Amino acid sequence: MRRMSTRALLPLLLVPAVALSACSTGNASDGADDGTTTVRLMAYATGGFKEKYVKAVIQPFEAAHPNIKVEYDPVVSSAEMLGRLRTQKSNPTIDVVIMDLSVAESANKEGIFTPLDPAAVPNMKDLSEHAKVRDNFGPGVTFDNLALVYNTEAVTTPPTSWNDLWDPAYKGKISISAPPQLDGIGLTVILSKILGGDYTTSIDPAIERLRKLAPSVQTWNPQPDTYTLVKSGQVNLALAWNARAQLQHDQSNGALDVVLPKEGSIMQVNTINLVKGSKRASDAQTFIDYALSPEAQALFAAEMFYAPTNTLAKVDDEVAQRTVMTPEKLKTMIAVDWNRLAEQRAQWTEIWRKDVISQ
Amino acid sequence: MPTSSRSSEGGTRRGAAAALLAPGLLALGVSFLVPLVWLARMSLNRTVGPAELQTAVSLRSYIDVLTDDFVWEVAWHTLWLGALVTVLAVVVSYPIALFLARTRSRLRGLLMALAIAPLLTSSVVRTFGWLILLSDDGIVNSALSGLGIIGEPLTLTNNVTGVVIALVEIMMPYAILAMIAGFGRVSKDLEDAAGSLGAGRLRCFVRITFPLSLPGVLTGALMVFVLTVSAFITPRLMGGGRVFVIATEIYDQATTTLDWPRASALSVLLLLLFGVFLVLYQRLFRMVEGR
Repeated sequence: MRRMSTRALLPLLLVPAVALSACSTGNASDGADDGTTTVRLMAYATGGFKEKYVKAVIQPFEAAHPNIKVEYDPVVSSAEMLGRLRTQKSNPTIDVVIMDLSVAESANKEGIFTPLDPAAVPNMKDLSEHAKVRDNFGPGVTFDNLALVYNTEAVTTPPTSWNDLWDPAYKGKISISAPPQLDGIGLTVILSKILGGDYTTSIDPAIERLRKLAPSVQTWNPQPDTYTLVKSGQVNLALAWNARAQLQHDQSNGALDVVLPKEGSIMQVNTINLVKGSKRASDAQTFIDYALSPEAQALFAAEMFYAPTNTLAKVDDEVAQRTVMTPEKLKTMIAVDWNRLAEQRAQWTEIWRKDVISQ
Repeated sequence: MPTSSRSSEGGTRRGAAAALLAPGLLALGVSFLVPLVWLARMSLNRTVGPAELQTAVSLRSYIDVLTDDFVWEVAWHTLWLGALVTVLAVVVSYPIALFLARTRSRLRGLLMALAIAPLLTSSVVRTFGWLILLSDDGIVNSALSGLGIIGEPLTLTNNVTGVVIALVEIMMPYAILAMIAGFGRVSKDLEDAAGSLGAGRLRCFVRITFPLSLPGVLTGALMVFVLTVSAFITPRLMGGGRVFVIATEIYDQATTTLDWPRASALSVLLLLLFGVFLVLYQRLFRMVEGR
C-alpha cells in the first residue's frame, strides 16, 4: 500500500519541475550583441491569432527592419495579459501589447500603458473614428464583430436575424457565453436596440426577451469553446466572434458558417499599446506604426478577417465581404461605449444570473 | 491526526528532524505562504471604476462581498453541493474501501491500483469524459432509451446533476484512500468475537464494524468536502454556466471582471471557512476516537 501511493505521487512531484522549466524558457536573450533590438509583443494565444499575426505582420516587418526583432508572447485573454502586466509594472519586460479596448482602458488608467508619440506613429492619423482612443493612448488595431454561427449540416435555412435564436427548431441546441463574457453583454446591447430601446437607459425589455430564450439554451459557458461545439453538432446555433468564426469556417471545410444578422451587431476593438517604462520605446513605436499601416492591416485582414482600422487599407472585395468593413455593414453597427459597459458589467452579470440563467 | 510517542525521543533526533524538514518548509513558505500573504494584502486594495486597481488599505472588498446577497446565495449553494457530494462519495466508496482494507486476495495490489488509478488522470480530462458519457446522445442516455426506460434523453450535462455525478466519481479515489488509511482499527477478530457471541451480520456491522470505521469515514468526508467546496474545474466545465460556486466566482472576478481585491477577499473568506471545518473535524474526530 505504501509503495503504491508513493508511486502514485511521482507524477505530482514532476508537475512543479515542468512548470519551473517552462518559466525559465521565458527569458530569451535580448540579442543586443549583433546590434539588433528585440521588441516583445504580448498578444492573443488562441484561435490562430498568433500564427496569422506572425505571418501577416511580424515577418514582413522584420524583413523591412533588419535590426529589430519582434518576439511574440502568447497569452490566452486580455484579462490575463493585464494580470501579467500588473506584476511587472515596475520593471516591464513587455514593450507592446495587443488587447481588448475595455481592458486596455483600465491599464491606461493604472499607468501600465503610456500615450504614443504621434510623430513616431504617423499612421495614427489615418485611423477610423472607431479606432481612436483618448490622449493618444494605444489606438484600435483590429475590428471584430459579434455574429451568429451555425452548423451547416443540421441547419438547412441559414439564420438571418437575431430573432432566429427564438426559433423552436433550435431548442436545446443553442450556446451563448453569458456575462461577464462580452458575448452576453453584446447580445444585451443588440436586443435593447432591436426592441426599440437603448442599453444606456434600460435593459429590462432585453432581459424580458432573454428570459424566454433561456429554456432553449444548452450552455451558457461553451466548453471547450463555441466553435468546437458548433462544428461537432453538439449545438447548432451560437453567438461567436466573426474573425475566429471565419477562420474556423475555412479550417473546418465549411462545417460551420457565420452570418452577420440583418439588424446589425456590435464591434469589438483590439488596441495596440505601448508599455510605460519600455526600454525599447522607440523601436516599439516603429513596430506599432507598421502594425497600423495600410499594408499590414490589409494583410492581416486577408489572413484572419479582422476588419482593418486604417481607412486607407485596401482589401480584396471577397475578404471585405467577410468582415464588417463594407460601408453597408459598417452602417448597421451599433455604437457602443465600452468604458461605460465595463462599468455596468458586474451589474448586468448579476441581472443575467438572477433573471435569465435561472429560468 | 493523533500524535505519536515521539516526544520521548532525544534532542539530537529533534535537531536532525528540523534539518530534514527545513527544505520542505522553505519550499512551502515560498510556494504557499508568500502567495497567501500577497493574496491577503491584495484583498485590502481597492478597485475603482470597472477594473482599475488602486493600492489602499481598505476593508471595502470584504464589506462589499459580505453584504452581497448573490455571494451568500453562491456560498450556500457551494456548501450544499459540498455536503451532497460528500455524502454520495462516502456512501459509494465505503464498501470499496472496506473490501480493500480487509481482503487478503492476491489481487489486492491490482485492485488497489485500479481504485486509485483515476488520480493519474487530471480532473479536466475526467470531466470531459463525463461530458461525453452523459450527453444527450451519450452512452448513458442511449442505454436508457435503448432499454425503453426513457423516451426523451435526460439532461445530464450543463446542469447541477452532471456536476454532482462527475464530482462524486472524481472524489471517490480520495475518499477510498482516506478511508483505507482510517480503517486500521477495524479488526476481523472483533467481528469474529461478535459473531461467536451471537450477533448477526447486520448487527455486527452496525455495532462493531461501522463505529470502528468512523474515524476513517470522517477523514474521507472531510477530504471530499474540502476538495468539493474548492472545486473549480468540474463546476465550470460541467455546469453549462448554470452552476455558481465560490471557486467559479473567484475565477470570474480574477480573470474576467478583473476585480482582484474582490477575488482576493472571497479567497480569504473561503480559506477561513476551511479553517472552521478543520476545527469542527478535529472536534468530531476526538469525540469518535474518545469513545
